[in-house]
Amino acid sequence: MSLKPFNKLPELNTANVLLVENEERFQKKLADAIVLLENNVNVIVRLARSLPLPLENAESRPRIDLVVFIVHLNSEQSLLSAETSLKHLDSGYFLGKVCFLVTGARCGTLPYERLTSLKKMAATLNSPLLMTEDKTAEGVNTAAQRVLAVLRVAAGLVPMATGLYLSSLTRCTVPNDPDWQNQD
Amino acid sequence: MDDSAKQVLRKIIRRIPSNKLQNILSKWEHLSKKQFRSLEFTQAKWLLCDNLLSLCEENDLSMKHVTELEMIYRIENPAQGSWNVCQLIDPSEEAVTVDSLTFKDSFKAHLKHLISHVSVKMKKHEDNAIWIRIAWGDNFTQPNHLNPTYVVHHLQTPYVFVSGLTAKHKPFLHQALIPSTHYGGLKDVHLSGRCLTALRDLLMRQYKQAFPVKHPRLLQEKSPVPSHPNIETEHAKHTEKRLQMAAEAFGEGILPKLETAVYKLETRFRENGMPGRREEPFRGVVKFSSSNLLESLKNCVSSGMASAPVTPLLSSITQKGRNYFVITDKGPGVSHTQGRKI
Amino acid sequence: MSKKSNPSRLDMNASSENDSSNSGRSDRSLRVAENSRKKREAEDPFLLALKYFSRVEEGTPWRGNDVLERHMAVVERVALSQGLPPEAITVMLDFALSLRMRTQFCVRTLKILIPASAVPQDAVIQGVSWLCVGKMTVSMQVMFLRWVLTVFDLIDSKDQLRAIYGFIFSFVTEESLCPYVCHLLYLLTRKESIRPYRVRKLLELQTKMGKQPFLMHLLALYKIFSPELVTLSFPSKMKSGFKNHNSTWKAALSAVQRRNNVEVTSDLRLTFGPREQPVSKKRKMRSHLTMPALSSVPQSGSSGRKALPLEQLRAFPQLLENLDRIELPAQMGSMLGSSLALHYLDCVRDSSAFLRLNFWLGHALHEEFLFCREASSQNTVEGTRFLNTLISTQRLLQEGFSSTEVFLYRFLRVWDGSLLRPEILTLLSDIPVVPSSRIKDLLFEPLMQLFFTSSLFFKCSVIECLNSMLLKWLTWHSVYALEDELDISVSSQNPVNMTLSGLMDSVVELVQFVGRIATIGLQLEGYHTLLLSFTLDFYETVCDMYLKYNLPLVLMPPAGVFYPALLSTSPVSVDRLCHVMHKYRTNLVSAKHQEKQTEKPFHISRKTYRKFNQYVVSIVSCLWNSRAFQPGMGIELGEDLLTRSKVSEYWGAFNLIHHPAFVSYAIDFHQKCWPERKELDLNSIKAGRRWDWYTEFLFCRGFQGVKEFVQNSFSRRSSIREVGTDSQ
Repeated sequence: MSLKPFNKLPELNTANVLLVENEERFQKKLADAIVLLENNVNVIVRLARSLPLPLENAESRPRIDLVVFIVHLNSEQSLLSAETSLKHLDSGYFLGKVCFLVTGARCGTLPYERLTSLKKMAATLNSPLLMTEDKTAEGVNTAAQRVLAVLRVAAGLVPMATGLYLSSLTRCTVPNDPDWQNQD
Repeated sequence: MDDSAKQVLRKIIRRIPSNKLQNILSKWEHLSKKQFRSLEFTQAKWLLCDNLLSLCEENDLSMKHVTELEMIYRIENPAQGSWNVCQLIDPSEEAVTVDSLTFKDSFKAHLKHLISHVSVKMKKHEDNAIWIRIAWGDNFTQPNHLNPTYVVHHLQTPYVFVSGLTAKHKPFLHQALIPSTHYGGLKDVHLSGRCLTALRDLLMRQYKQAFPVKHPRLLQEKSPVPSHPNIETEHAKHTEKRLQMAAEAFGEGILPKLETAVYKLETRFRENGMPGRREEPFRGVVKFSSSNLLESLKNCVSSGMASAPVTPLLSSITQKGRNYFVITDKGPGVSHTQGRKI
Repeated sequence: MSKKSNPSRLDMNASSENDSSNSGRSDRSLRVAENSRKKREAEDPFLLALKYFSRVEEGTPWRGNDVLERHMAVVERVALSQGLPPEAITVMLDFALSLRMRTQFCVRTLKILIPASAVPQDAVIQGVSWLCVGKMTVSMQVMFLRWVLTVFDLIDSKDQLRAIYGFIFSFVTEESLCPYVCHLLYLLTRKESIRPYRVRKLLELQTKMGKQPFLMHLLALYKIFSPELVTLSFPSKMKSGFKNHNSTWKAALSAVQRRNNVEVTSDLRLTFGPREQPVSKKRKMRSHLTMPALSSVPQSGSSGRKALPLEQLRAFPQLLENLDRIELPAQMGSMLGSSLALHYLDCVRDSSAFLRLNFWLGHALHEEFLFCREASSQNTVEGTRFLNTLISTQRLLQEGFSSTEVFLYRFLRVWDGSLLRPEILTLLSDIPVVPSSRIKDLLFEPLMQLFFTSSLFFKCSVIECLNSMLLKWLTWHSVYALEDELDISVSSQNPVNMTLSGLMDSVVELVQFVGRIATIGLQLEGYHTLLLSFTLDFYETVCDMYLKYNLPLVLMPPAGVFYPALLSTSPVSVDRLCHVMHKYRTNLVSAKHQEKQTEKPFHISRKTYRKFNQYVVSIVSCLWNSRAFQPGMGIELGEDLLTRSKVSEYWGAFNLIHHPAFVSYAIDFHQKCWPERKELDLNSIKAGRRWDWYTEFLFCRGFQGVKEFVQNSFSRRSSIREVGTDSQ
C-alpha cells in the first residue's frame, strides 16, 4: 500500500514530516533539531527506516505533508533503500512534497557516480536535493532549518506558495557542464 | 652483565613506549632511588638505555633481573601479541587443592626434567593468575630470552592462556602443565585474541551473557523513547524486536573484545541434492575481523544491517567460547578431528 | 673524489678556533698557527679527539683500541650535550663516510652527528662524493641520506648542493636509496633543475616500480614548476608522501637545541614541513592548510650569491632594491601569508609563478573542502583561517585566482548553506565576470536551490553577496574599459577577453536573476523588511550603473520588488524606493541627453521608459494624489473587492498620511498642530497649506529619498512626462 498525500484531512496549524533513513543514524538528531526550532506551528516528525510504513500505524498516522529521504553517500545500501522506498510513494507526493537530504557529498573517498545517480534521480522526480553536514551541530541545525522551510510551504502554511511552486524553483538539476563532470 | 643480557635489556626498552617507561622502571625495584632519579626520561631512548646499562652494571644485575622487567611490562600490558587458549580436561581429585607454591615448584621441576636448557620465571599477579615466562633453549644452546613464551593460568580453573609458543615447544609445555595441575589432558579451545582479559571473561562467563531460550523475554531496556512528544517512530516495534534479537544472541552490556572469527568450510559439490562426483572437498575460509568483533556483530543485528534472527554460526562465538570453527558436511566422507560440527 | 677530504681536514684544524677560516691558506701559515695553538689544544680533549679522527689511518684496529674509545667517548659526550660545531661535523662525517674503521663504528659516528648550529655545505657535498665512491654499504648510504634530510634546514647554504643536483639525481636508480633521494631532490628542486631527460627517467622508474608516493610527489613538484614537461595527471588525493626519516636523531637534536636555546626547533619542524609530516592521514589531510611558513635557514655568510630567496626579505625598501634577483620559494603556498611576497608577485607578473600558485591553491582547496574526510570543528577553524588569508590575498592583488573560481563552482553544488558561509560568500563576491552563457549553470542554479530552501538570514546574505559582486564587476568595467577599445581583460591571470556586450549580457543576467529571486524570496518570507532592505541595496547599485560606472544600461526593478517596497510598513523602505527612483530618473535623463547628442549605438528600450513612468505614476498617485488602485497604476483591484474590504476611502489609504509606514508621523504632526484637539482627524492635514507643512515635517524627519523625489519630479514634472512621451 502506498502512502497517499491527500487521503486524510489536514489538521489546523500542524505540519507533519516523515524522515526516511535506512541507517537511523541521522534522523534522530535532525528530528530533535526540527521540533526545537519551530515554535509557531505544531510540527510532528515521524521517523521511518524505509517505506512502506507498517500497516498497524495507518489509522493513527496523520496526513504526511513532506517526505524527506536521507541518503548517506558513503553507503550504497542507503541509496538503494531510498530507491526502493520511492516506489511505495503515491505520485501525488512528487508534486512538491518530497525532498532528498544528502550527507557526505564533500567526502572524497566515495564514488562520484553515486552522487550523480542520486542527482539524476532527484532531477527526474523534480525534487529538491539538499546537501547537509551531518557531523557538526551547526550542520544539523541548518539542515533542520531548511527542511522546515520546505515543510512550511508543503504544508500550506506560507500564503501564496505551494510545494509544487517551491519545488519548481529548487528542484535538482544535473549540470551538463563538462568541467564539472570530470572532477579530476 | 653479559652481552646477551644487555641485548635483551635493549630490546625490552625499545619495546616499551617512552611514556610508560618511567612507570615500568619504577616498579622494577632494582635501581636505588638515587639511580632512578639520575635517569633522564626525556633523552633519546638509546641514550637512556646506555645510562641504564651502566647502572645495571653498577648494581651487578643479571639476566634474571632483566627478564623480571620484561614480565612487569607484559603483566601491565597483556594486550600484546596473540593469546591462544587451552583447556585442561579430566581433572583428578587433587586438582582443586593445588596451591600456587606447589604448582610453581612442580611445573618448574617437570619442565626442567623434559628439557635441559630452559629458563622459567613465575610471578603471581593480583587477580590470582600465575604468569609464567619461559625462555626456551635446546640441548646445545642457551635459553633464548628474545622470544619467550608467556603462559597465564588461573589456579582451580581449567583454562590456560598461551602466547608466543612455537609448535616445537608445545609438547613440552603440555607435558609440564598436565601433571603439575593434576589434570588428565589438555586440548585447544580454538579461541584466540589479543586482549587477554576479554578471553578470560568470555570463557569464565564474566560478562552479562544471554542464555538461549525458546520464548522471547521482555526486555528491560527497550528501544530509546523519542525525546519529544512530537517525534514518533514508525518502526518502533521492529527496532525493539531487533534489539531483543541482538541481546538474545550476544547478551546485554559490554561484550568481551575479540578481533577475529574464522570459519572454515569443507563441503562437497552437490548436484540436485546428491553429492557430486568430485571427491575433493570444496574448501573456503571466511574471516571476520574488527577491533571489537562481538560489538560490531551485535551492532549489525541491532541496527538492522544483518537480517535477524542471528545465525547460530555467529551467536556460538559467545555461547561456545571459541572463534575458530570448521564447518563440515553432516554426511560421512569429510571429517575433521578438531572442528566441531555446527 | 676521496682526495677532496684533504683540504677540509686542514680546514678543521685552522677553523677550530678561528672563525674566519678558509681553505685557501697555505700550509706554512697553517703550521705557524698550529704551533701557537699547540699548547692549548693539548689541553682540550675534544680538539684532540677531532684531530685524532681527522688523521686516523685506514685499517687501524678498532677492537680493544682504547685511544679510539676514549676519543669517541669525548666526541659523543660533546655531541649529545651541546652538539657539534660545524668543523667537527665536517671531520666526523668525513671520518665516518671514508670507512676508515669498521662499518659499525662508522654507523655509531653517524648517529652522534648532532649539529650545534649549522651544518657546513661542504661537509654534505663531500659526503655525497663519498657516496659516489661506492664503498659504503647500502644501509650506511641510507643512513647518510636520512641524516642529510634530518639536518637539511641546518645546512648553511644550498647553492652548491643544487649545483650537484645531477649527481644526486643519478642515485634514483638505486632501488633502496630511491625514496630518500627523491625526498632530497624534492627539497632541492628549482625550476632550472627540471630537464626533460630527468622527467623521462622518473617516468621510466614509475613504470618499473609502480606508483610510489615519493616518485609521485617529486613528479607533482616537477609538474608545478614546468607543467609542459610532465603531462601525467595526478590523483587529487595522493598517499602520504615522504616518510619521516629523523627518528634516529630527533630526540637528541631537539634536546641539544633546547639546551643551546637556539630557536631552530621551528626550522626543524619546517624540514618535515607540511608535506613530509607522516603521522595519521587525518593529520596529513589537514596539514595542507597550515601554510608553509616563509622563514628559517640559518643565515649564511654568502651574500655574494646571486639569487635572493624571498624569505630573506624583511622590508619593502629591500624588496625594491632586490627586485631583479629574487628567488621564488619552492612552496608557492607560502606566498599567500606574506604581503611582501604578494607585492612582488603583483609587480613582476610572472605567469609561471601565478600558474604554480594557482596549481597549489586549487589542489589545497580541493583537498580540504571537497575531499575531506571528517568535518570536525578544529577543521573548520583552520578552514576559516585559510579562506580568510585567501580573501585578504585576493583583496591585495585585487583579483581572484582562477582556481578559487573553479573551486567555488564545485563547492556551491555540495554546500549546505552554512558551512563557512561568510568566507564562501565573500569569495564568491570576488569572482570575475562570468560569461552569460555559463552563468546560469555555474552560479544561478546552485544558488537558487540554496536560496529558496534556506533561512531569511541566508537570503539576505546572498543578495548582499550578489550586490558586491555586481559592484566589483562594474568597478572592473569602469577601470579597465578603454574609451575606444571595448575589449577589457578582467583578470590578468585568467585572460578572459570580454567584450562590452559580453559584460553587459552578464550584468543583465545577474540583475534579472536577483530580481527574480528577490521577488519570490520576498513572497516566501512575507515581505520581510530586512530582505526588502537588502534588495533595495542591490537596486541602489543597479540604478546608478550608467552615471557612476559608465555602463550604458538601465534596468528597472520588477513589480515584485517595487510594489512591496512602495506598500511596505517600514517608512525607510518607502524612502529608499523614492531615492532609487530619483536615481533612475537622473540616469535616464542623462542617457536620453547622451543619446540625442552623440550617435553612439546605445539604446535604452522603450519598455524601460514605460516601466519607469508607470512606477512614477504609481508613487505619485499612491502617496500624493490619493488615487491608489485606479486604472493606470500597476496594481488594480476590482471595485467590489475593494468595497468588501470595508475601508471607506480606499483610494486614499496609501497617501502620505494614511500609508501604514507614515501614519505614525501623521498622528505626531496632528498632535503638534492641534495639541488641544481630542478627536483625531487626519484628513484635516490634507487641507491647504497644512499638506505642505506636513511634507516639510516629513523631510525634516530625514526622509531624504522622498524629498529628492518630490523636488526633482514635481517641480519639473512636465519634463519627465516629456522624457516619457518622447520615447513612446
